[in-house]
Amino acid sequence: MKEKIEEIKKRAQDGMGKITDQKSLEDFRIAFLGRNGAVSGLFSELKNVPKEEKPAVGNQLNQLRDELNASFALMAEKYESSGDEPVARVDLSLPGRARLIGSRHLVTQTMDEIKAIFKRMGFSIYTGPEVESDYYNFEALNFPPNHPARDMQDTFFISDNFVLRTHTTPVQIRIMESGPPPVRAIMPGKVFRNEDINARSHCIFHQIDGIAVGDNITFMELKSTLLSFAKEFYGSNIKHRFRASFFPFTEPSAELDVTCFICCGKGCRMCKHSGWLEILGCGMVDPNVFKSVGYNPEEITGYAFGMGVERIGILKYGLPDIRLYFENDLRFLRQF
Amino acid sequence: MVISLNWLKEYISLEGISAEVISEKLTSAGLEVEKMTDQSAIYKGFVAAHVRECIKHPNADKLSLCKVWDGQNELSVVCGAPNVAVGQKVVLATIGTNIPGKDFIIKKSKIRGAESEGMLCSESELAISDNHEGIMVLGESAEPGSAISDLLGLNDVIFEIGITPNRPDALSHLGVARDLAAIFGREVKKPALKNLPASGDIHKLAAVEIADTQGCPRYTAKVVKNVTIGPSPEWLKNKIQSIGLRSINNVVDVTNFILHELGQPLHAFDLDTLAGNKIVVDKAGALKEFTTLDSNKRQMNPDILMINDGEKGIAIAGIMGGENSEVTAKTKNILLESAYFNPSVIRKGAKFLQMSSDASYRFERGTDPHMTPFAAERAAELIAEVAGGALIAGTIDIYPEKIEKKTTELPYSRIERILGFTIPKEKVIQILKSLEFVITDSTEEKLMLEIPTFRPDVEREIDVIEEVVRIFGYENIPDNLIVSYPVHNRVDQTEFDDQIKTALTGLGYFEAISLPMISEWESSLFGNPVKVKNPLTVEMEYLRTSLIPGMLQNIRRNIHAGEKTIRLFEIGNVMSRTGEGEVSWKNLHEETRCVLVLTGEAETKEWYRDDRKYDIFDLKGDLESLAAKFSIDSFTIDSYYSTEKNIFGSVTELKSRGQAIINGGSVRKDILRKFDIDQPVFCAEFTISSLAEAVKKREGFRHLPKFPKVFRDFAFILDSEVQFNELVAFVEKNQTPLLSSFRLFDVYEHKSLGEGKKSMAFSLEFYNENATLTDEIVDREFNSLIQKISKKFNAQLRGSN
Repeated sequence: MKEKIEEIKKRAQDGMGKITDQKSLEDFRIAFLGRNGAVSGLFSELKNVPKEEKPAVGNQLNQLRDELNASFALMAEKYESSGDEPVARVDLSLPGRARLIGSRHLVTQTMDEIKAIFKRMGFSIYTGPEVESDYYNFEALNFPPNHPARDMQDTFFISDNFVLRTHTTPVQIRIMESGPPPVRAIMPGKVFRNEDINARSHCIFHQIDGIAVGDNITFMELKSTLLSFAKEFYGSNIKHRFRASFFPFTEPSAELDVTCFICCGKGCRMCKHSGWLEILGCGMVDPNVFKSVGYNPEEITGYAFGMGVERIGILKYGLPDIRLYFENDLRFLRQF
Repeated sequence: MVISLNWLKEYISLEGISAEVISEKLTSAGLEVEKMTDQSAIYKGFVAAHVRECIKHPNADKLSLCKVWDGQNELSVVCGAPNVAVGQKVVLATIGTNIPGKDFIIKKSKIRGAESEGMLCSESELAISDNHEGIMVLGESAEPGSAISDLLGLNDVIFEIGITPNRPDALSHLGVARDLAAIFGREVKKPALKNLPASGDIHKLAAVEIADTQGCPRYTAKVVKNVTIGPSPEWLKNKIQSIGLRSINNVVDVTNFILHELGQPLHAFDLDTLAGNKIVVDKAGALKEFTTLDSNKRQMNPDILMINDGEKGIAIAGIMGGENSEVTAKTKNILLESAYFNPSVIRKGAKFLQMSSDASYRFERGTDPHMTPFAAERAAELIAEVAGGALIAGTIDIYPEKIEKKTTELPYSRIERILGFTIPKEKVIQILKSLEFVITDSTEEKLMLEIPTFRPDVEREIDVIEEVVRIFGYENIPDNLIVSYPVHNRVDQTEFDDQIKTALTGLGYFEAISLPMISEWESSLFGNPVKVKNPLTVEMEYLRTSLIPGMLQNIRRNIHAGEKTIRLFEIGNVMSRTGEGEVSWKNLHEETRCVLVLTGEAETKEWYRDDRKYDIFDLKGDLESLAAKFSIDSFTIDSYYSTEKNIFGSVTELKSRGQAIINGGSVRKDILRKFDIDQPVFCAEFTISSLAEAVKKREGFRHLPKFPKVFRDFAFILDSEVQFNELVAFVEKNQTPLLSSFRLFDVYEHKSLGEGKKSMAFSLEFYNENATLTDEIVDREFNSLIQKISKKFNAQLRGSN
């Protein structure tokens, strides 16, 4: 038995010297260390060894196995690569077994981006109904009946007192009605305008409104907050223009423009040759709005803002036609 | 609104301020300049030229060959105008000049063999009138080479300004000049009366009566006699044309001039057509129909405010005059109306009549009730001047209830509280004075203010704060505040929708957004729809009661576009109503739903697989994935062939705790046909809140298995009628605690199994969380289960007899 062990040891050492590549490495492993290899064969012969010699022979065998394993490991490190090469070679250039992943609509993706920025700033997110009463859509927002301000938003009517909301601003009334200040929230959703459908306008679009109400909220904070949003969303090197405007539910009101990122302010079709793009409307919450939700305008102040979502994609990706958003053509959806 | 810079300059000196800066500052102050046109840029390249020679073109009867002197060179120009002659001073478009009336660029060319180095222009080519009968001939004094823009006064800058509904005061040149005066700290020079000699007495010639003082709080009238209707003088024509209006005649032009100068709409009546020489302002009442001066018959309602004479209606107050009393070429005597009408009365009338005029636009936003006498008197003077009439002395001014000026207080501390920074007191005072606010009293802490009557939008301190800051300039508001807010109790009501979107896109669905309005037949498929009173089209007359019709439209479009695999989902709101009668919160029902659809090729043919079309099991599988993803509490998914009237031919529903949450299936063929789809469509719809409520509360951590699992596979031969879910139900009922999973992995039907038989193969998993399972125990459990199944379903274990 001892001789056999010595012989195998010698053969193994020779064999080890002949390892030149991965194949000879594997051949060696099978011949000596495999399940039916020489070492394994020796172990199975151990049962024939007389009882008193068993411990010594066993020891010797263990030693041999450990030695071979150790030297094999060294060689393996040298010749074995990833171990992934199959025995039979296949055409690895064949295409893979791909699985389809869907995507969120471009409107959702744009809203996600906007939501993420305001969430980081500490805003909550609320939603509200699309069929609204005249009260929530107009009256509580300081649009008096028969006021020309109502012409700013062509309205679909369900009845004399119910409309398809023309903006997501009514949600701010619902939020404030439901609890005391402070409030800091954005309100994304679908809005409706009774306008002809063509390449540039549609009767539905999506809007994100926002509101911040508290003890010490100022116009300066409004400007600072919305500018930091604009810089994060449109890039920190954009130029901006903050100008006076009018919305019934805010006073003072403002609009925020950024330099047209298509022509860099030189003037193009998208910015109507002005070099500027209107990105959002905003202002300090009108005291009448606070009164309609039972907040005391002497004690608290707040600001509100709103922006259209589809327009952003139209500008950012040069969509030629707003109708693409709602046709749900997979050739469009797959692009985003 | 169109504003001319030259016209503005009559009321304010804008010396040293460029048109660009004016545009920028107006925009900042809320008068957004949407377009600015610099005429001198348009007329670049047009110069005066002297015709030195003019002979007939040898090859063309109607053309002339001219030699013109442009002050530096003599140029050859071919001219087609019949009126060209030697010695004329004409308008020459030099090489490279763009012709505004024709939109082409002058190039050096040969016309019938003769060289031409420019073009002699007509008025229409210069886009200053419609006159294209021959070239424009300039006065003798025109110096060759001098720019036409200077010679003809075409050096104006035209601003197109978007005026927000709160700023009726800015709907005139004087109003815009007032804002500019405040912005640049300059003075406004208001137009003044010339106090022309007048004779007679208006009260002997006309009378005014206001029957509806709520609709018409003030009515002022002036009379001018013996006018000659004719063309306006050049200065007036230029003013009118500079803002893009057509010059009509001297009287109408004066009323338009006053409208755009002062913002006060006027109307000129032919006094001789007024029965009883009388004006009565009253509601239309019984008057059913009225013909306006544009010859349109208008259907009236009783509340529309009318101007009547002693017998009949003569104008729709504040909206449009009548044909029966308008100024014509024969008119001699004129009554001028300068009134203040109630904004909402005019608005209601204009809405009802679906009319909008320059006058109604201003009246419904609110004009200045104190402006009426001045506007009437100024207009009368101008008419007397340009139409050669006799100014009648006196003014009728019916003003039963004086409109008091509004007052408010402005504490300085409020300005700071709203804005967050300080504007110096002197600056606040300067701005308010320029805007014609009267400071009636002031202390260290606050101002007492009287608000000008041309500012209907200003009432409260907050409105005055806006005035101050908009003139101060929004660009001057500091914006360096650090915006970080404490976050607590943050709510996100879109979070669950987002999770569903993430799951479905992961399952390969693309998100769609469809129109929420659908047609009557589509809405009739589900529920009781809500109707839109004023839809865009009949296809969009109802609000969707389900997301499915919109999705079927999406599928149709995609199939027609050649798409093979269609997997779409949408999350959106649906509306329905209960009962009849007036819409109210009680009978309106709105909820957010999610729909998913599958149609076409589930798997395309690839080198490693065959193609396969979607079937109901794809839908079922996706519902299972959703149920697993959202840990739906004790859920089952049942499929069966529909028996009742349903849009699904075969139904698949996901239930949780016995309640159906998701309804789906294969859409019935007859419905698909209506949508022009002729391939199977699988679809499921659910209410988001129902799914959210079925989500299992998250339990604590379950320890990872410590002992090995034991697997046993087996196959049964069963009667074909036996359904998988019967087996599942039976196994569940007879479950041993050690059986941890029971999974079908093969179904096989072949005649070798015997008539009406099938084979089903299962993989069973056993696990004991407390100890290693022995073969003995597993075999015992396994055999016992097999025996029970065999007995119950008359099943035969395959491979055993």
